[in-house]
Amino acid sequence: MDIFSILVSKTIVYAIPLLLGALAGMFSERSGIINIALEGIMVFGSLFGALFLTRGIMDSALAASHPQFVVFLAILVAGLSGGIYSLLLGFAAIKLKANQVISGTALNIFAPAFAILLAYSVISLGVSSIRLPRGIVMSPEIFGLEIANIPRWLYTMVFSSLYLTTPISIIILIISFITLYKTKFGLRLRACGEHPQAADSVGINVTRMRYTGVFISGILAGIGGLAFAMANGSNHEPDVLGYGFLALAVMIFGNWKPFKILFGALFFSLFKTIAVFAATLSFLPSFGLNKVDNLYKTLPYIITLIVLAFTSKKSRAPKAEGIPYDPGQR
Amino acid sequence: MFDFKFLKKSTSTEQKGEKDKEYAFLSAVLSIIVGLLVAVLLLFVLEFAAAESDFSKPLLGIQKYFTYTFTSSTTFTKIFYNAAPLMLTGLAVGFAFKAGLFNIGATGQYTFGAFFAIVAAILWQAPWWAALLLSIVAGALWGVIPGLFKAFFNINEVITSIMLNWAGLYLANLLFYNLPQMHTVLPNRSDSLRSVNPKAILPDFGLNQIFNTSYINIGIIIAILVAILIYIVLEKTVFGYEIKACGSNRNASLYAGIKTKSTIIYTMLISGGLAGLAGGVVYLAGTVEFTVQSNLLAMGFNGIPVALLAYSNPLSIIATSIFIGFLESSGSGLQGLYSYEMTSVILSVIIYFSAFALIVGHFIKKTLKRKRDKESILEEENLIVDQNDNEIKQSEDEQLDEKGVVK
Repeated sequence: MDIFSILVSKTIVYAIPLLLGALAGMFSERSGIINIALEGIMVFGSLFGALFLTRGIMDSALAASHPQFVVFLAILVAGLSGGIYSLLLGFAAIKLKANQVISGTALNIFAPAFAILLAYSVISLGVSSIRLPRGIVMSPEIFGLEIANIPRWLYTMVFSSLYLTTPISIIILIISFITLYKTKFGLRLRACGEHPQAADSVGINVTRMRYTGVFISGILAGIGGLAFAMANGSNHEPDVLGYGFLALAVMIFGNWKPFKILFGALFFSLFKTIAVFAATLSFLPSFGLNKVDNLYKTLPYIITLIVLAFTSKKSRAPKAEGIPYDPGQR
Repeated sequence: MFDFKFLKKSTSTEQKGEKDKEYAFLSAVLSIIVGLLVAVLLLFVLEFAAAESDFSKPLLGIQKYFTYTFTSSTTFTKIFYNAAPLMLTGLAVGFAFKAGLFNIGATGQYTFGAFFAIVAAILWQAPWWAALLLSIVAGALWGVIPGLFKAFFNINEVITSIMLNWAGLYLANLLFYNLPQMHTVLPNRSDSLRSVNPKAILPDFGLNQIFNTSYINIGIIIAILVAILIYIVLEKTVFGYEIKACGSNRNASLYAGIKTKSTIIYTMLISGGLAGLAGGVVYLAGTVEFTVQSNLLAMGFNGIPVALLAYSNPLSIIATSIFIGFLESSGSGLQGLYSYEMTSVILSVIIYFSAFALIVGHFIKKTLKRKRDKESILEEENLIVDQNDNEIKQSEDEQLDEKGVVK
């Protein structure tokens, strides 16, 4: 039971950054901009969010009395920094009509390098890891519960390793679903990703819609980056270890739809968690191999590939993604 | 008169193509300059953020960055040592770009190529050329999978190659752990080629001893030859034409009778082989050993900027990879002052600006053209005026003559 609780909680912890990253990619691509810079934006969000947590007001009285409020502020900082950084992609891709993959790649290379440079100059030379403070886990006390009254499995599953980013990302998921499918804005955004010329002909400002899509994407990816930083442990190297690219894959896996993306993120994360705990899970066979956990680490990727091969017929990318809007083609 | 004008026009259209190339080169140079300037600016800004600001530090850093590579034969030869794998991974990415495919999986193919080159060298005691061949085969086999998925299931090659990067990394680790003959000294590091199989090390013709380094080998020559070969394939063969047609419009080329599915598969096969060869060139140099990795190797990703800066042209890739090799070698010069990552910052800014430098180039071209058109209109008007003057003069002369004759 205990190991089961740990598996569930770790699955959720690893799924959150993927979910946020994939939703970020969805907003951008639904507006017609390929956001391959997710990785870089996540690094940026994680960098500033983590720096805010440690250097900001963590030592202040506010942090002592309301730690979760400080975490909430850090989430805002991460989202805002990601959003601002993503505007660089928007500027190149929308205003200057540059190749979106190229400018995205540039942002991907810049972010981790800048993160290390900044960490070097802000913290000290040779140390680039940011030490995250303790006490940012959601503890039972903030819900007015006492530890003694909670069953042990529930404690391990919910209160030992989940952060404020978890409920916030669930809220974000629901809001993004409503925004995308139930509002005028969502319809317009999707129109810009499918047929911007038609959208323009009925009076929608394609440029503004695309900027908005990219900015929302940056905010979500920035928060995703901070979620990764908090999930990854107390010593955070400013890097998200390829999670931005994985989020891109989860987005395609989820067919550019919010709840399918949630499923994809959980699915991927479950296998990743099993791989991480492969050494301790006694029921997994070892096939007589040394270090068999490496075999289980390949599983999430290979299974995703197989699933993709079977579901590819239904896959539908936004039609106009990657193509700069040219009003002359109307 | 008319004939002369016609000739003038035709020569100007011929020059147009050359001018386009000139602009591409100009915009590349422009973005490189902007990249370096932004990096310098960033150094000063970071100095503001630092606890103890010392503004002589960035200046010293800049000076060190540009002089470091010329301080010793090791740092200088490292330019080409770095450039060889950069060129090959750049070719891998650029070749796939030509067919409209984004091979972001070069790092997985590179890892596979590197691993099997080492397997051939240590387990099978193969000579260097055989190990290199195996690295090509291994990279190609890992690279063809995204091609197959793209051709048969129409799955975006970006997602499959990202998945295969990680799967390949862990698979290589698993194989490594289960081949104990490869790592008898350290558990996480393959045995040094110098002690186990010296004939698997790429030949250097004794140059390393003369120049007192260990970074000279024939890797760079192999890479340049491969680049020329790829150029010939792309520009002078039917297959190359099909690749480029497939890249510019897949449906149109299918309609024209090109087998786009097999073109995609072959392109990814070759692209993967190139990335695998890069792995072989690095790990058979005798300077590094294969180690168990927990993160993707950066070299495969570094091929992307090389290809982008060169607009995927194989011959330009030779130049850009040597330039980036220089930047990477210089990056070590900053040790103690700044981190090695300065190179990545410069590189990313260059790529960011190169993405729209071509557009700026086109803008310059347009304004120049407008200017030229205006001038040519003026010229024509002048010509007409001249003509009229001449005609008037001639007629006057004739009249005069006539008058003279009359007289």
